[in-house]
Amino acid sequence: MSRPPLSVRRFLLRLFLCLLLCLAAAADRPAAAEPEEELLIGIEPEHNIFEQMERYRYLAGYLSGQLRVQVKLTIMSRYGEVIERFKSLRLDGAFLTSYTATMGINELNLEPVVNPVNLNGQSTSQGYILVRKDSGIRAVEQMRGKSIVFVDPATVEGYLFPLAYLEQHGITDSNSFFHRFSFAGSHASAIFAVLDGRADIGAAKDTVYNRLVHNDPSIGQELEIIAQSPKVPEITLCIRKEIDPELRARLAEVLLTMDKTADGRKVLEQFKALRFVKSSKADFDGVMKMEQEARAAWRNTENN
Amino acid sequence: MLTVLCVLAAGDLHAQKRIGVIMTGDVPYYGAMHEAFVSELNRRYAGGEKIEIILQKPFPDSISWSNAARKLIAFDVDLIVAYGSPAIQAVIHEKSRIPLVYAGLYEPDHEEVAGKYATGCGFKVPLTSIIRYFKQLKPLTTLGIVYSSIEEDSVRQYEAMKDVAEQQGIRVAKIDIRVHADLEQLKTAKADAIFITGSSLAHLWLADIMTILRKPQVPVADIFPDDAEAGVLMTLSQPPHIQGEMAAGMAAKILRGEKPAKILACTFRDTELVFNLVEARHMGIDFPIHLLIEATRVIE
Repeated sequence: MSRPPLSVRRFLLRLFLCLLLCLAAAADRPAAAEPEEELLIGIEPEHNIFEQMERYRYLAGYLSGQLRVQVKLTIMSRYGEVIERFKSLRLDGAFLTSYTATMGINELNLEPVVNPVNLNGQSTSQGYILVRKDSGIRAVEQMRGKSIVFVDPATVEGYLFPLAYLEQHGITDSNSFFHRFSFAGSHASAIFAVLDGRADIGAAKDTVYNRLVHNDPSIGQELEIIAQSPKVPEITLCIRKEIDPELRARLAEVLLTMDKTADGRKVLEQFKALRFVKSSKADFDGVMKMEQEARAAWRNTENN
Repeated sequence: MLTVLCVLAAGDLHAQKRIGVIMTGDVPYYGAMHEAFVSELNRRYAGGEKIEIILQKPFPDSISWSNAARKLIAFDVDLIVAYGSPAIQAVIHEKSRIPLVYAGLYEPDHEEVAGKYATGCGFKVPLTSIIRYFKQLKPLTTLGIVYSSIEEDSVRQYEAMKDVAEQQGIRVAKIDIRVHADLEQLKTAKADAIFITGSSLAHLWLADIMTILRKPQVPVADIFPDDAEAGVLMTLSQPPHIQGEMAAGMAAKILRGEKPAKILACTFRDTELVFNLVEARHMGIDFPIHLLIEATRVIE
């Protein structure tokens, strides 16, 4: 799949930067007395980053006020940047999808703190492998020679799961099995690529798929889900171990109890979540298992 | 009717094989398909047998299509290649035993093209995507659909798009183009957006259509690429060269003695999405960033 032209990408980058400046300013807000401590939290980009940043802006403002700590946000330019960003930007924490959270826990010894529960009552997501209903593709053997679109190498639902699924069916080399494979950059883009016929097969997460179908039911009528992954934590706030344990405990406490106060519920509504629930390292066992299952396919794809 | 003789591989004046080609109309989509066909055939026959191609680009109407088909049969060509449904149907209607390779056929499964002497390839474009993108650009109450009732595939695209639009509560304004004067309907259609089917007549007069729609700033979508950048806001199309190359492969097999019925027909579903930002600016349309990143190509 071709990428948009350089000028569009530059435009996007400029918008990112402007947005970040605005958000940093917004997060400064509670300041009757300016807090000195600061927490820099990273966010992985979603399809519509404007909408995403708006949601997180409210949360950052609320946390700043409750913790008396300046909570700043920074968006990572793509999935999987977590390791580099934690080092280069000295992030204190990040809202991470399950793959990057697993990497962060394993490689940086990050501590999973909480998961948001979405408006459907779920704190987990699962991967879907999708095709157009009129494609005639229903099983792996019919995928040979077709095109597949993944989301990003650092996603469970959009890459690790489809690789594990293919490997379970004896396919360990996407390069030779598919006519073409590509990365869409977001779950929604992967879904749109299949809808438009820009790819024959796509992988994406259920929460994004369900939201798109809710907004436009014709999407559900056109697509067929042919495989589903086990459920994994969708988003997890992970924090560096070096953060003051007292601040870490207060952060968890504020997030876990915010659905009990009127102000907290208002912010949750803007954040599009019902509440936060506690997270633990054991929640990521399923991701580790999938990673082992996909190992040969992953290696072959990386080598090409 | 325009007939062009094109000889591949120089040298011997007496070609050993002759291929007759009919385009439904002289439109760039079929032109690009044919260019890829010739190029692939040249590649396959480089240094080998001489191939002569007789190309016909009739004006899109029933009599011209029939005449073109009959002429090629009278030439006793070894193979006929036809691009687009009306030309294909005209060849089939003649019931000749000359093998036929078709390309540029919309949803081949929906047409009676399978037979002892025919094989080929076609395409399908998900029309719902066009409505989805239009709706993200502006409120869509009425969708104008440009088609031609004398072109069977264009009629099917009109009907499919009408069904999709009506399912979503969008009214449809029918714009049937049979003669140039029919373009006048565009001035009174009162559509929020226009969808152009793969009609040869519509594409023959695409520049005129765009001139009419530019003044009221009606955005246009097309399932053929707008390579000439006539001003179509978005195109969702199947790349024509892929079908041209596939048709050449099939033609080569048939010329070497393989039976058309033994060669599997195929339908291409891969598409390219192109947004014309120049036209969007002219219309005061702001493309949301999340929409722009979906594009295969953006015209700036």
